[in-house]
Amino acid sequence: MAELRVETVERAVEKGNWQRFRESDFFYSFKRSPVAIVSFAVVCILVLSAVFAPLIAPTNPFDPASLNLMNGFTPPMEPNAFTGESFFMGTDDQGRDVFSTILYGMRISLFVGAAAVLFAMTLGIVLGLVSGYFGGWTETIIMRIADVQLTFPSILVAMLIFGIAKGFTPVEYRDQMAIWVLILAIGLSDWVQFARVVRGATLVEKRKEYVAAARLIGRSPWAIMVKHILPNALSPVLVIATISLALAIIAEATLSFLGVGAPPTQPSLGTLIRIGQGFLFSGEWWILFFPACTLLALALSVNLLGDWLRDALNPRLR
Amino acid sequence: MLRTTTALLATALMAGTASAEEFRWAGQTDPQTMDPHAVSSAPVLGFLNNVYDGLVRMSKDMTLEPSLATSWEPIGAGEGWRFTLREGVTFHDGATFDADDVLFSYERASDETADVRSWFSPVTEVRVVDDFTVEFYTNAPNPLFPASIANWMMMDRGWAEANNATRPDKEAGNYATLNVNGTGAFMLADRQPGLTTTLVPNENWWDTAEHNITTATFTPIQNPATAVAALLSGDVDFVEPVPIQDAARLEATDGVNVIRGIETRTIMLGFSHEADTLKYGASAGAPNPFRDVRVREAVAKAINVDAILQTIWRGSAEPASQLVTPALSGYSATNAARPDYDPEAARALLAEAGYADGFGFGLMCPNDRYPNDEAVCQAITAMLAQVGIEAELNAMPVSNYWPELRADNFDMYLLGWSPGGSLDHEHPLRFLASTPNEEKRLGSWNFGGYSNARLDELLPMILAEIDPAARQAMLDEVTAIYQGEHAYVPLYVQPLVWGTRDNIELTQRPDNFFILRWVTVN
Repeated sequence: MAELRVETVERAVEKGNWQRFRESDFFYSFKRSPVAIVSFAVVCILVLSAVFAPLIAPTNPFDPASLNLMNGFTPPMEPNAFTGESFFMGTDDQGRDVFSTILYGMRISLFVGAAAVLFAMTLGIVLGLVSGYFGGWTETIIMRIADVQLTFPSILVAMLIFGIAKGFTPVEYRDQMAIWVLILAIGLSDWVQFARVVRGATLVEKRKEYVAAARLIGRSPWAIMVKHILPNALSPVLVIATISLALAIIAEATLSFLGVGAPPTQPSLGTLIRIGQGFLFSGEWWILFFPACTLLALALSVNLLGDWLRDALNPRLR
Repeated sequence: MLRTTTALLATALMAGTASAEEFRWAGQTDPQTMDPHAVSSAPVLGFLNNVYDGLVRMSKDMTLEPSLATSWEPIGAGEGWRFTLREGVTFHDGATFDADDVLFSYERASDETADVRSWFSPVTEVRVVDDFTVEFYTNAPNPLFPASIANWMMMDRGWAEANNATRPDKEAGNYATLNVNGTGAFMLADRQPGLTTTLVPNENWWDTAEHNITTATFTPIQNPATAVAALLSGDVDFVEPVPIQDAARLEATDGVNVIRGIETRTIMLGFSHEADTLKYGASAGAPNPFRDVRVREAVAKAINVDAILQTIWRGSAEPASQLVTPALSGYSATNAARPDYDPEAARALLAEAGYADGFGFGLMCPNDRYPNDEAVCQAITAMLAQVGIEAELNAMPVSNYWPELRADNFDMYLLGWSPGGSLDHEHPLRFLASTPNEEKRLGSWNFGGYSNARLDELLPMILAEIDPAARQAMLDEVTAIYQGEHAYVPLYVQPLVWGTRDNIELTQRPDNFFILRWVTVN
C-alpha cells in the first residue's frame, strides 16, 4: 500500500511539471500573444547564433592574423576589387567580415548584458531584502544612496565607475579587464530598480502570518528572507531583469560607441556602429547598417518579451 | 512706435550683417595648452601662431619673413645672429615689447621644463645689446638658425612674473596654460579647454590686418564625420582634416570647397630602444626584443604600407622612406627606397633573433591626433600578427598620449613628424634621432632613446655646413645610418585635406598650420 502511494505521487510530479506548464495561464497567454512568440523566436535565434558563432561565422574577426587589409570596404555580396573575395554583409575598414564580426560582437554584447544584469540583480535583491526586513538606519542609508543614484542618468554612473576602475587597473591588464570593468560599471549603475522593488515586496510580505510563524519557530532572519520572502517577490524581479537586460545591452553599446567600452580589436556591436558611423557620408552604409539592425532587433525583442512578461505575471491584469 | 520698431529692425539687420564676419572653425585636436613653450606639437603651435608672434614668421609659401624682428644678420664669420627688433609693438595688455622680453622668452623656452628646448641646442649665449637689438651666439656657424625659430613666440616678462608663469609647466599647468598675452593679430577672448576657444582681433596689432573677421570661434570635434556634418549644415565655416573618404562627396556638394595638398608630415612607428623589458601584452616583463635590430627590421618588412594606402587612405597618401618628405630640403634621394613588404623575410628575421614563436607587446596609438591614426594602428596590429608577433593595441586621445609616451609607457608607438620652422631634414634629426641630452637640448621627442654615436657626431657638422653638396653628403650618411638600424619605421606622408564653406577664402600652408589672419569671409 505504501509502495503504491509513492509511485502515484512520483508519476503525478513527473507528468505534472510539463502538464502543469502547458495548462498554466502563463503558457496560455504566451500562446495567445503573437508579439511574445515572435520576439521569443528572435531572441532565441540571436542568442543561439551568438553562442555557436565559431561554427556559423565564416571567419574569426578577433584573430588579427586572419585579416587581409586589402579586403577592406567590400560591399555586401560583391567581389572585392583587389582580392576577388565576396562577403555576405560586406567588410569594414580593416577587411573584417561584417557578418562574422556581428556574430562575435553579439557574444560580447550578450555576455556583458547578462552578466551585468545578474550582478545588478544579486546586489539589488540583497540590499532590497536587508533594507525591507530590518528597516531603521540600514534602510535609510541604503535607500537614500539609491535615491541619489537615481537622480543621475545610469550611463553617466557607468562612465564614472568605468573611469575610476580604469584608473585603478594596472595599464598592462587594461585590455583583459575591459570586459569585467564594463560589467561592473553597468551592474553598479542598475541595481537600484531591483532594490526598490524587492524592498517594497519585503515590506508587504514581512507583515504576513507565514513570516511571523517562521520567526516563531526560530528561523534565522537570513533564512526567512531568502527561503520565505524572496520567492514571493520574484515575479516583479523577473520582469525588471528582462527589461534591464535590454537596457544593459544598449548601455554596453553606448559605452563602446563612445570609445570607452570593448577594445577596438574585439569589437562589440557598439564598437562596430562607432566604426561604421565614420563611413556614412562616403557611402559605405553596410558597416553601420547591419550591426545597428542587429542591436535594434536584439534590444527590441528582449524589451517586448519583458513587456509581455510583466502583463502575464501581473495578477491584477488577469 | 512703428518708427521705433523699424529703427530697431534696421539696427538688428545691420548687426546681422556685421556678425557675418564671425568665423567658426573646427579641428580634430584641441590645443592642449595656451603656453607657447610648453608643448611642441602642431595643434598647439599652429593655434598659438594666431595670438603670439615670433621674431620671424613663415609666409604663405613657407618663406621666411620679418615679424617682431625687422631684420637679421650673421655676426662675424658665423659666430651667431643679430636680430633688430621692431619698435612700437605692444602686448595685448599694453606692455611694450623690447629686447628684455626676447631674453626672457629665450630663458623660458630653453628651460628644461620647456618642450621646445631642442630649438636652442646650437645656442651658447643670448646677449641684449640695446632695447631693440639682440644677439644669439651659436656653437658653430648655423645658417638655418633664423628659420628654425619661426615658431618661437615672444612672451612678456612682466606679465609672466606677475602671474607666476616664468617657466612652462606642461603637466600641471599654470597661468599661461589658460591665458594669453601675446603681440599677435588676435587676442584670446574666452578659453574653455576641450569646448570652445574664442578669439577677437587685436586692434593695436603692429601689422596691417588682411582678414575681416570680427570674432573667431574654434571648436574641437574629435569625430571627423561629425565635423563634416557640421560643415555641410553650416554650423562651422571651416574644418580640418576632412576624412579622406568624405573628400569626394564634399567636392560634389554645392556651397562647400575642398582644399587638397600634401602635408610636410611623415607618419612612422617608434620603438623602445632603451627599456630592458616589455611593458604590455602577453610578454610583459620579458626582455625587450626591440633592442635587436633584426626585430625592428622584421617589423618594417611585415607592414604592407601599400595596402594601408590603397584601402584606408584610398590611394591619396605617399609611402615614406625617411623622417622627412621628398618636398623638404635635406631629403636623401639616394636613400629613397623603403623596405619591401616581405612577411616571409620578417618571419625569418624573427626566428634568427630567437623569436620564432613570436611574442606579445603593446602598441600605443593616438585616436584623435592624425587622420585615420587608430585604423592604421589596427591594420598594423593585424599585419604584425601575420608574422607571429601580437600587438595589444592601446588607442587613446592625444591629451593622454604624449604624457604616456613621455613616461616611457610604451613598447612601440605611432608618431607623426612635421619639421615646423626650418622645414629641413636636420629638424627631425635633432628632435627624434639624436641621443636625448637635457644639457645640449637634443632629442626631446626621441621617446625610445635611440642612440648612434656617428649620427650624434655628424649632426652639429650638418648644422654648421654651408656648402650644400657637403651638407647633403652628410645627411645621406645619417639617413643610411638610421635606416639601416631601423630606428623608426617611416610609413607614409599624409595628405592635407581641408574643407570650407564657399564664402571663405583662406590659405593652406603645407605644414598644416591654419593661419587665421589670412581668412576672408565674403
